[in-house]
Amino acid sequence: MVNFTVDEIRVMMDKKKNIRNMSVIAHVDHGKSTLTDSLVSKAGIIAGAKAGETRFTDTRKDEQERCITIKSTAISMYFELEDKDLVFITNPDQREKDEKGFLINLIDSPGHVDFSSEVTAALRVTDGALVVVDCVSGVCVQTETVLRQAIAERIKPILFMNKMDRALLELQLDAEELYQTFQRIVENVNVIIATYNDDSGPMGEVRVDPSKGSVGFGSGLHGWAFTLKQFAEMYAEKFKIDVVKLMNRLWGESFFNAKTKKWAKQKDDDNKRSFCMYILDPIYKIFNSVMNYKKEEYEALLPKLGIILKHEDKDKDGKQLLKVIMRTWLPAGEALLQMIAIHLPSPVVAQKYRMEMLYEGPLDDEAALGIKNCDATAPLMMYISKMVPTSDKGRFYAFGRVFSGKVATGMKARIMGPNYTPGKKEDLYEKAIQRTILMMGRYVEAIEDVPSGNICGLVGVDQFLVKTGTISTFKDAHNLKVMKFSVSPVVRVAVEPKNPADLPKLVEGLKRLTKSDPMVQCIIEESGEHIIAGAGELHLEICLKDLEEDHACIPIKKSDPVVSYRETVSEESDQTCLSKSPNKHNRLFMRAQPMPDGLAEDIDEGKVNPRDDFKVRARYLTEKYDYDITEARKIWCFGPDGTGPNILVDCTKGVQYLNEIKDSVVAGFQWATKEGVLSEENLRGVRFNIYDVTLHADAIHRGGGQIIPTTRRCLYACLLTASPRLMEPIYKCEIMCPEVAVGGIYGVLNRRRGHVFEEAQVAGTPMFIVKAYLPVNESFGFTADLRSNTGGQAFPQSVFDHWQILPGNPMEAGTRPYGIVQDTRKRKGLKEGLPDLMQYLDKL
Amino acid sequence: MTENTFFSNEVISLEKSIDLTSTPVETKLEDLDEVYEINRCSKWIQTNNFQRVCLQFPDHLLPDSSHVALKLQKILKQTLYLLGDTAYESCCIDYIAAAHINADAIIHFGPVCFSKTSANIPHINIYEKKPLNITKLRSDYDEVFEKSMAVVLLVDSIYLHLIDKIVTAFAKIPKLQKYENVTIQRIDEIDDNLKNKDIIFFLGEKYQTLVNIALTFKPKQLNYYDGTVKIFEDASKIIKRRHFIIEKIKDSETIGIIIGTLGVKNYLQILDRIKSLISQSGKKYYLISVGKPTVAKLANFPEMDIYVVVTCAMSEIYESRDFYKPIATPFDVEAALNLDPDKSTNFTLDYNAFLNDAKVVTCSEPTVSLLTNKLRISKPEEHVKINNDTSLAVKDVGTVALNNSGAGYLLQRSWQGLEQNLGQTEAHLAKEGRDGIPLHYKNEENNS
Repeated sequence: MVNFTVDEIRVMMDKKKNIRNMSVIAHVDHGKSTLTDSLVSKAGIIAGAKAGETRFTDTRKDEQERCITIKSTAISMYFELEDKDLVFITNPDQREKDEKGFLINLIDSPGHVDFSSEVTAALRVTDGALVVVDCVSGVCVQTETVLRQAIAERIKPILFMNKMDRALLELQLDAEELYQTFQRIVENVNVIIATYNDDSGPMGEVRVDPSKGSVGFGSGLHGWAFTLKQFAEMYAEKFKIDVVKLMNRLWGESFFNAKTKKWAKQKDDDNKRSFCMYILDPIYKIFNSVMNYKKEEYEALLPKLGIILKHEDKDKDGKQLLKVIMRTWLPAGEALLQMIAIHLPSPVVAQKYRMEMLYEGPLDDEAALGIKNCDATAPLMMYISKMVPTSDKGRFYAFGRVFSGKVATGMKARIMGPNYTPGKKEDLYEKAIQRTILMMGRYVEAIEDVPSGNICGLVGVDQFLVKTGTISTFKDAHNLKVMKFSVSPVVRVAVEPKNPADLPKLVEGLKRLTKSDPMVQCIIEESGEHIIAGAGELHLEICLKDLEEDHACIPIKKSDPVVSYRETVSEESDQTCLSKSPNKHNRLFMRAQPMPDGLAEDIDEGKVNPRDDFKVRARYLTEKYDYDITEARKIWCFGPDGTGPNILVDCTKGVQYLNEIKDSVVAGFQWATKEGVLSEENLRGVRFNIYDVTLHADAIHRGGGQIIPTTRRCLYACLLTASPRLMEPIYKCEIMCPEVAVGGIYGVLNRRRGHVFEEAQVAGTPMFIVKAYLPVNESFGFTADLRSNTGGQAFPQSVFDHWQILPGNPMEAGTRPYGIVQDTRKRKGLKEGLPDLMQYLDKL
Repeated sequence: MTENTFFSNEVISLEKSIDLTSTPVETKLEDLDEVYEINRCSKWIQTNNFQRVCLQFPDHLLPDSSHVALKLQKILKQTLYLLGDTAYESCCIDYIAAAHINADAIIHFGPVCFSKTSANIPHINIYEKKPLNITKLRSDYDEVFEKSMAVVLLVDSIYLHLIDKIVTAFAKIPKLQKYENVTIQRIDEIDDNLKNKDIIFFLGEKYQTLVNIALTFKPKQLNYYDGTVKIFEDASKIIKRRHFIIEKIKDSETIGIIIGTLGVKNYLQILDRIKSLISQSGKKYYLISVGKPTVAKLANFPEMDIYVVVTCAMSEIYESRDFYKPIATPFDVEAALNLDPDKSTNFTLDYNAFLNDAKVVTCSEPTVSLLTNKLRISKPEEHVKINNDTSLAVKDVGTVALNNSGAGYLLQRSWQGLEQNLGQTEAHLAKEGRDGIPLHYKNEENNS
């Protein structure tokens, strides 16, 4: 029985202080979806006994089959909190007076690194995050990545230690060891939080603390969980100590001597750590007695703990009984609900400090204030973070968060895409919203309107947005900031229909695929190949499957995965290159040189960008990279696309008419940086200097036609004389495995040009973690290879990390880069062979 | 220093090197009669009693042109006019140049494209003649093709003078059943019967002709001969490239239509068709006539997103990737902008193959661009009608009417025209400025 109706939820939506928008984030396989089931079952959506097995939020068939979350899934739930728990909520903005009910909008996100973009999209629309950590494996790569992202988005985290059942049943850790493990995980998490969050910042202190109740422990699979609060409540009466005070005593260096009844700060012979004594000991006792079938023992224990078993459960034994006992004693849903309601911020609280991170416009306009105050009467501001496919093929629900105002069925709104700028018409549509809906995992429910602070879906705006966008009723509204993803689409496959006549269907399918995934890129290359680019092999596999089965519905042929390369230079040009214009009246003198290490990355990250004030930018470049200050002030442009990691610097002195040809030179630069000389791949990390320009005195003879192609030729000559090189994308891999498997990992990595840069034991566990750099090009089939070489014990997580020069001269036949250049040229339909310098270089 | 005011120094013109795609040919004087079929030409002129006859030569045959003309003049005792430096493609008949002298006949020499022509001045084509080792051809043929294969041997214009020998060489040998299935076909007599054949074996050199055969007739296999028998496989590459071009047209806001022919039939009709397709799709076009399009000429219009070149099917410009912006064919425009599902989908470089006035179906729903992954509008929303009353209207805050094509584009340039620099330039008395033409001004120092 569902414990609530849509109408009830709608009522709750107006009580915005009682709303909690949260995402569940974690490393892959740490049990997010399983844990989420506990809450879903508490809400009555699924039966309690099925919780932990249903994985209600894994709505896709392949998610259920593979037991992996692929898409993030939202669900809205209504709960009531007891009076005794309500007193823990002290901030008046966290709770409406006299309201026990809470509306929890939860998003379950995937843990596999290939789907990180789904996590990013989930974080944007939530205010709090439940970070799940498998207490056996500890804090993993993806834990860190998602946590870092959460902090950057100003999302408040709470921590849950999952899979305690494994720690007890499989690892057989003793109580003190288990405490140390917990302690270490809390510390690790807090170190990450401290690295990326400023305690004096607007979010305040966000570290997690078991003694405050913001850390939960338990087992999602078995459906039980607790925080120190639950145990403190049990013992409060016995000790006659206030619950809050007792919670402090139950964690950390706090020991109790049962004989003297005295608390101590240090361990000595007679006392015992309070956490072990009062929390772990009872749990261990239950586990021991039940798993060893000591019926009398546990039957005596149960009444003490206040556990009354249902009649039908009494006949169970072993694991089944254990589950029932633990679930009755420490219901997971209850503990989680309390953590969420007490420790995660309401939209009222969160939007106050999130507004400046979210809004691009002036921080005091109507929209900004509406967001800041989470004001349902202000103009509508809604961010669409992703598109969710509907049962109607080709159509999507636009899923997002109302930050200000109210979105209602039938209302007219401005739909602004990421390229919209206020005052212009580009990427702007004014359309009616056909319907607002509530997302309930695998179901949707229509709802009349949705006020600020809530998450919902819209029908009828999908046509006017690609992946994300802002919806507003405010004429002068700026966009809400676009999301920054932690992964990049570096792996590509070319697809074509098996039957050439199906091409239009493929094209239509690719367009749908582009919409449905926050990260994937579907592109037609200049050669006419249809390319799908994704974060990794698994991501591509899912995209291809979706394309074939859902979006295009035709059989598809796919190429082997390829990576894209970048062209760069390794030295300064060995001569000043001269190119003459077709009419021979204009001459350009230029050189290329590699950028200093780190500058290309700074440009990627936007630390150095074309919109900066040129003086500020020049100072940065001078201080960090030792650039000459006058030259650094005269950066003409970035490229390709005006923002890429290559620059054109004007080093000329006193050239007449120079600013007249600037646009043409810039156009030529954009062209040449987009299509490099070796194989028409993008350039990266190249600085071009213009040293001198001779121009014809008459404007007609130095027009674009003369200058644009000449600039390109000159830049190509510069590249060819500056020891050109290829760059390849490199993954950072983290591989977790038992010690015996480490040898196998090294073998596989060596064969694939990988290089290990860190190897360490995960403290408190028998697991080892190996960190390595692996060329993306060598990563195809890596997971399978690793598994077969380690008996299935090693599982890698790979995420694009950086670009690296591929050793070898691409201009020399027989080298590896030469082969790649030739392959790429062939694929792109270019003339095979090497570009000839004499084609680009002219003599005086 | 030159004394000329309006012309450049002849030294510059003489020293200027021109790019020739093929090396110039100089035929021995004694061979002229045969190579240029002087007899046939003179007879044709005499029988038809043409008065003003033009001889059109492609660039690489120009060295022979004067000899041919002199010989013909001697026979005919009348003035002949030489046409060289053809405005567009030298494979097409240059009616415009011929119209300058009101010509009543044209003799076209050299490679020819067989495009349907737009004007009706009588003309004959005199093909180039290239040698061919027929014995070797036959043995090469035997190596590659089996007896049972139905092969169409397509003879290009350069070998047509050997057609009789080829026919003899491939005459049927009934006993061996050899060459039974071989058909020999002249290139100047092809028709639709050639469509969907199993194997076409093309005897010729021109790459572009090969492309056109592959695209038009879609043989299951297309072979060509350059000393050995090879298989032509580029057709799929060319068709694939269309995907990109078509998507690019859909993305474009401004399209440059380039006139590349005045000689091919219906060139005005196709221009009109392209123009109407573009404007019905809410895009903007510029009609550009620059003579032979070159990289430098077209880069003078950086505001174009793509160019459509209207020219004859033998033009090599469509294959070129050197241009600043991609070059599309009229077919691409039709495919990209006319969403009528019934339209023809067979790609061809010859616009006469699909030219019609069929209705244009456009779509106003925004779609995702597969080049940028951004949203694009196929058709801009209707502009708000401006009321013709004189009452005051509220100005939208911060709203300016701007589009990205035309004026909007110019605003993005950093160089906006003459800079005033008021008060920053020192005032001078008037002094004498430049004099002459840009290539070399009279008072410029002689250093270039």
